[in-house]
Amino acid sequence: MSARVLIIIPAYNEAETLASVIEHLRRDAPECDILVVDDGSNDDTAKIARAMANVAVVQLPFNLGIGGAMQTGFKFALRQGYDIAVQCDADGQHPTDQVRTLVERLDRGDLDLVVGSRYVADTGYTPSLGRRLGKSLLSRLVNAVAGGGITDTTSGFRAANRKVLRLFARHYPEDYPEPEALVIMYKAGLRAAEIPVIMRERQGGVTSIRPQNALYYMVKVALAIFVDAFRKFTHAPEEP
Amino acid sequence: MNDAPQLGFQAAHRVGLLVLSVLLVLFVLELVRRGRLKERYALLWLAASGASLAIGAFPGIVQRIAAALRVQYLTVFYGLSFLFLLGIVLGFTVIISRLSERNRELAQELALLAHKVAQMEKHKRDDAH
Repeated sequence: MSARVLIIIPAYNEAETLASVIEHLRRDAPECDILVVDDGSNDDTAKIARAMANVAVVQLPFNLGIGGAMQTGFKFALRQGYDIAVQCDADGQHPTDQVRTLVERLDRGDLDLVVGSRYVADTGYTPSLGRRLGKSLLSRLVNAVAGGGITDTTSGFRAANRKVLRLFARHYPEDYPEPEALVIMYKAGLRAAEIPVIMRERQGGVTSIRPQNALYYMVKVALAIFVDAFRKFTHAPEEP
Repeated sequence: MNDAPQLGFQAAHRVGLLVLSVLLVLFVLELVRRGRLKERYALLWLAASGASLAIGAFPGIVQRIAAALRVQYLTVFYGLSFLFLLGIVLGFTVIISRLSERNRELAQELALLAHKVAQMEKHKRDDAH
């Protein structure tokens, strides 16, 4: 693998699990650089990240939400000249040993973004009924607009090439960004596909989507995707 | 309904409206002078006070609309006020959205620059040793 790869870890109050995620990444993908984007945490997240050697830490002055934090990482990757950026959550849910699988798939060059999917084949992931229903509705919506092919549209375990970085540096949804990001990519003429991965249970922290927010989440993302269908998206210029 | 007695625009109402409109104009101008209100947003309020001045000076306008729509005089008055407030609130949410967008970009740039500065200082320290 000759491509320069940056693993972006967006972290909001993830002091409990962050160190172990970074250690796993070091073991499973030592050739990749690591960036922690601390999204205005109230706990020791930034301190823990800074204490680890060879980890870049970008600390946002206040909480921007997962979308704003990831976009900070995309901008960083773009400016530092990385070829590929991988998103890996700080809660220990994403399988660090499959970062290489994502990158190798992207290295083949026929795709711009690869999603690690929990649904392709039996990956041992069984969310609750309500969550399944919501995710399936969203996936249908995304695929209706974006032309199909992705079953796990909410998975945040992804690898993206520079074309995607240039697009996302300019356009990236604020919260609950994953499904809409696929639509934006499609509208900008980029290609995404998914490969199966086996996710773990989250090791600590709490999901950002609580049941009472689920409906708001659905409606908001649906509205965003509907509006995106009538928008035009442009790439940020290539960094010198 | 049409036969119901139309409450006319009495002189006292007109004077009250004119005085209020003039006070609003003066207040808005004072806010701009003290730098508490931006000119671009002041224009909106000046337009509103202009409209209410016009109504005070020529109550016939509202009476004619009321007659054309076959509604009470006051209904037209409140209807216009409501539409104006709706417009202002919509304008505000647009402005807030733009501000929050810029706020996000600034926060991101600040974080990226802070990281860059920290890196440069670290290199400088390493070079010095």
